Amino acid sequence: MTNKLKVYRAMHDLTQEQLADKLEVSRQTVIAIESNKYQPSLALACKIAHLFNMKIEDIFIYGKGNEHEN
Amino acid sequence: MDIKRYKQMRVIIILFLGAIIGISVIANSYMLSAITIFIGLLFLVLVRSKTKITIDEREVAVREKAAQLTYAIFAPTIGIGAFLLLFPGNSGLSVFSKGEWIYVESLGMVLAYLTLFLIALYAISYYFLNKKYGGGNDE
Repeated sequence: MTNKLKVYRAMHDLTQEQLADKLEVSRQTVIAIESNKYQPSLALACKIAHLFNMKIEDIFIYGKGNEHEN
Repeated sequence: MDIKRYKQMRVIIILFLGAIIGISVIANSYMLSAITIFIGLLFLVLVRSKTKITIDEREVAVREKAAQLTYAIFAPTIGIGAFLLLFPGNSGLSVFSKGEWIYVESLGMVLAYLTLFLIALYAISYYFLNKKYGGGNDE
């Protein structure tokens, strides 16, 4: 699973800290998601998509063989 | 209070606690050390309650993984440890036989019961968590 969180964050002119505050998570979590080290839960993915007014699949791109990344 | 400030406060309290406990040990005053520990814990709880600490889902996932890893390492380790301390005692090996090594055998018994307790605790918590998250409802 890859994502375009960094791109959408830049488009909305948000820092990692600001995005973390909006999502009510830590900055480390935002960093981990952006660097594909952590796959967010469905709830958090929905929250991110809702924040950017996008669909989940626009931000998170599913790839084969990524089922058990976390 | 933010997390950075909380960590600073915690270090200060612990240093202060350590210093007073050190003094009380030197002065042979167990009462002073007991009171210091109580007040120190009280302060730590107070500081913790005034701090907004975000525990998000990644942190929870990390804790889950850490607990899983701890169990996967600890359970076999104490199980094998108990086996090594108890089993050779019956076969008459001098190192583990009774007599002066009886404490080693006792330790083996403690580890064996600890292993059983750990496995039982895991099984019980697994059963209830499985039920909570919708498992075991086959029709």
